Order: sequence, then structure tokens, then C-alpha cells
Amino acid sequence: MPCFDRLSERLLRAGIAPRHVRRYTRELSDHFDDLVREEIAGGASRALAETQALSRLGSEDNLAVAMLERPELRSFMARFPWAVFGVGPVALLASSVAVALVAERGIIDAATVWVPLLGFTPGPVAAHAFTQIMLVWNTLAIYGAPLLFAWLFYWMGSRQRMPKAWIITGVVLVCVMGGFQNLTFYDTGCKGCGHLDLTSGLLPPFPNLAEGLARAALNLTLAGSLWRLAIRRRVASAIALHAART
Amino acid sequence: MRIMANPSFMNGVPELLILRTLSSGEMYGYELVQAIRARTNQAIKVGEGVVYPALHALESEGMLKSRRKLVNGRTRVYYAVTRKGEKHLAGLVRHWQHITDAIGLAIGGTAHAML
Repeated sequence: MPCFDRLSERLLRAGIAPRHVRRYTRELSDHFDDLVREEIAGGASRALAETQALSRLGSEDNLAVAMLERPELRSFMARFPWAVFGVGPVALLASSVAVALVAERGIIDAATVWVPLLGFTPGPVAAHAFTQIMLVWNTLAIYGAPLLFAWLFYWMGSRQRMPKAWIITGVVLVCVMGGFQNLTFYDTGCKGCGHLDLTSGLLPPFPNLAEGLARAALNLTLAGSLWRLAIRRRVASAIALHAART
Repeated sequence: MRIMANPSFMNGVPELLILRTLSSGEMYGYELVQAIRARTNQAIKVGEGVVYPALHALESEGMLKSRRKLVNGRTRVYYAVTRKGEKHLAGLVRHWQHITDAIGLAIGGTAHAML
């Protein structure tokens, strides 16, 4: 059975979309199996059948060039890395905050309408519990989302074998900008009142600048540590695979 | 494709052969290559693996559609021509008939002049 790992790496580094590369190598393996069966049915020995099959399939260079000649099979990320790793972090963070905000507003509105209809009169304990739920939601949105997106950029970039500079750009942007965003809900104390607040420490008058810097540093430290861990795991699995093959 | 001709002259040939062959029914890669060999009387010998990039490209252009099918315990990707592919094929066939007619005329003319 031929190994198409080298071909796969070459295509990914040249920008061919991972889904096309995966499917191509799987189809080539299946095709190789069919050719070997055909050759064996024609009377060839196993070794000869495999040699003939490889020759009929085409050389690695031919197989790579045939794919590389098709620019339509390149991924969006490979064609427009600036859009993915430059504009992407801004767009993702903005949309995540927008989604969190809209969802939060929806929950507050629904609670305002439905709670009185259900005949329940919220007291201070219920108001406190509601504020705590909002606090958890906001914390997830502003602390969790940047780290989740940093992992997404790392995963997508590594999968496409993008240059490290692009991946680092995306991860750093999302970690730093994500560190400065703030979404807070206050219970103002009066009945039916509450205050939902969205701010960014990167926009004038630069509120909570020191806190933003600290959170950005924390995000970068966490993302960097996870990156190192992922690289170590990848190296270990590559060594194990190499050892298994030899 | 290993074809004994000027490559620029052969632009569109793989697409034509693939679409024409698949227009008779869905096939997977190996089946398709064998069908092309049989239809062309083995005159066109394909580096068999290079048919897949053409299939992927045609699919991304909407000329083909694919589906996975379990056959004898193996999952195969079957390709079939779409309506858009049929229209494109008709255009390619017209184009190639025009070219082969023109070349036929040219060859006939040359032969006549040489006589």
C-alpha cells in the first residue's frame, strides 16, 4: 500500500484545501487497490502487481502537478490569508459579542414579559440569581470566546500548513483584542431595572486599560502554552508513527 | 493525462472525456478510467491518478455531483453529471467537432496540395 503522506503535505503547503487533499489521497489509495487486484487477476505476482499499479497511478510529481494546476481547489485561507488571519479576528470577536448581547437582551426581555404572566413576583434573591446567571454568560462570552477563537485559528492554520507568521497574527490579534472587550450586566436595585453595558478598552476613553492589558497577557500566555503542548504532542505522535513504520 | 499531442491543443480534453463518459451513468474513479480507456480504444493513456483533480474541479464548478456509496464493504465516491455539466458537455462536443472538422479539412488540403 503506497503512502501518500508526502504528497498530502506538498499539496497542503501549496494551498490545496484540506478536504480536497484528504479525498484525493483516499481515492488514490482505493484506485491503487483496484489496480493491484486487476493486475493479480491478470496473473501478476503481488510484488509485480503493486509495482505496475504504482506506475499506472502516476508518479508523485505528476499527481501533485495535476492537483496544483487547478487553482479552484485552493482554499480560501490560502488565497486570502490576510482576510482570515487579519480581518477574521475582528469580525469573529465583533460577531461573538453581538450574538452574546442579542441573546442576553432576548433573555432579559423574555424574563420581563413572562415572569409577571406566570404570576411570579421576583424578589431580591431571584434578582441576584438572575444577575449571577448573566455574569456567567458574560464571562463565557468575553473570557472564553477569545481563547476559543485562538484555538480555531491555530487548528485551521495548522490543518492548511499555513506559514506560522499568519497563524501567530490571528492568535495574537484575537487574544489581545479579546482581552479588552467587556460585557456587563448590573442589577440597579429598582424593580424591572437592569443595566447592560458593552465597552472596549481599546476605544476612547480607554476604560479599564490596565485590566485589559492583564487579560490580553493572560490570553496570550494560555494560548502560547496550549500551542507548545499541541506541538509537543504532534512531535511525539510523529516519532511514534516513524518508529512504528521502521 | 499522457497524450501524444501539444498540451495547449488538448485543453478541455480531460473534461470532455470525463463528462462524456459519465453522461452514460455514475461511476467511481477507477471505473471511469477503465471506461475512458475502453471508449478511446486505449489511444489515450491516462496517468490514472490524475483524473481525480479534474473530477474535483468539475465538481466544484457544479458540472458533477458526488456521493459516497458502500460497495463490497468499501466506501466509494461516485460521480455523476449535473444538468449544468450536460449543457457544458454539449458545448464542448460542438467545439471539438468544429476543431476536428477544421483539422480534417486542413489535412485533406495538405494531402491534396502534395499530390
